[in-house]
Amino acid sequence: MDAAEVEFLAEKELVTIIPNFSLDKIYLIGGDLGPFNPGLPVEVPLWLAINLKQRQKCRLIPPEWMGVEKLEKIRDHERKEETFTPMPSPYYMELTKLLLNHASDNIPKADEIRTLIKDVWDTRIAKLRVSADSFVSQQEAHAKLDNLTLMEINTSGAFLTQALNHMYKLRTNLQPSEGIQSQDF
Amino acid sequence: MTEALDLTGRDSDAGSEEVVLTPAELIERLEQEENLRRAKKGDLKVSIHRMEMERIRYVLSSYLRCRLMKIEKFFPHILAKEKTLHEGELSSLSPEELVFAKQYMANTETYLKNVALKHMPPNLQTVDLLRSVPKPDLDSYVFLRVKERQENILVEPETDEQRDYVIDLEEGSQHLIRYKTIAPLVASGAVQLI
Repeated sequence: MDAAEVEFLAEKELVTIIPNFSLDKIYLIGGDLGPFNPGLPVEVPLWLAINLKQRQKCRLIPPEWMGVEKLEKIRDHERKEETFTPMPSPYYMELTKLLLNHASDNIPKADEIRTLIKDVWDTRIAKLRVSADSFVSQQEAHAKLDNLTLMEINTSGAFLTQALNHMYKLRTNLQPSEGIQSQDF
Repeated sequence: MTEALDLTGRDSDAGSEEVVLTPAELIERLEQEENLRRAKKGDLKVSIHRMEMERIRYVLSSYLRCRLMKIEKFFPHILAKEKTLHEGELSSLSPEELVFAKQYMANTETYLKNVALKHMPPNLQTVDLLRSVPKPDLDSYVFLRVKERQENILVEPETDEQRDYVIDLEEGSQHLIRYKTIAPLVASGAVQLI
């Protein structure tokens, strides 16, 4: 999977908007979206929220975890722990990027939030690198990766699985077979 | 939800090397497109429905692309498996995909014959595609998410020390493991590949 596809999946997450138009209930294939009344908050999938914002038809409300204090706590917790801590949303990276790119005027202290999220990401990726390294050097056969988000797995996963596949092939071919003669050059 | 259904199939296919069974009802979704053509009132409604339709179309077409890529990569093995299906077993390919695979095989054979094999000495003019095309690597490592709790999955490390150990798979947890160990769980839907 590439990063664009992970972002596509993240766009299904629900966010709250305040529309400035009115529309009665719509029946999408993925589910119903409640009637839209100007000034009243309503939950819609992220792809629709971004689109409406671009057409200046709504205001976006940041999710409750996207605040400076909350994120500082998350960042410090992540730095203290050796394992991965649960993230406020399985798509925290994509949500922050999309919301900050399209709706930074609706989000207080956008720049600080950007920095905090980047810190959290860097810490987690560093932990992932360390644990991947020990996985390979100790030739483990199995790893548990709870609390890792899809974007993090995707970023390092392709390289990691290919490396592990090669290692496996090299290891399983270590048995000496009789009858194999090396060529003379 | 439609997208969840599609993406389970899509994720599994992208993560593993086998061709997993196609749910045929995915195709019905496109027929719903017909229903939406009638709604002319309210430009906004129409555009919202159209956007969703585009998204669904993207998921379906990337799913199809993934399957076709697998067919092209492993066509001799897939066709051999189709030939040996017993009574009552479902094919993992849709009828159109089967036709595609057969045509691809015929075209490849014709191509090889005309470009190279025709000019070889007579006793070297056949090529065994089943042996020359690489098999799907079932020992590759995959990431997975557990849907149903599983107990006592045997993990065999490859080092010389005898360290077979069993693990339990908790619901909702994520793991990195060799595909072969969990292949039956993917087929039964107990785990989902990431």
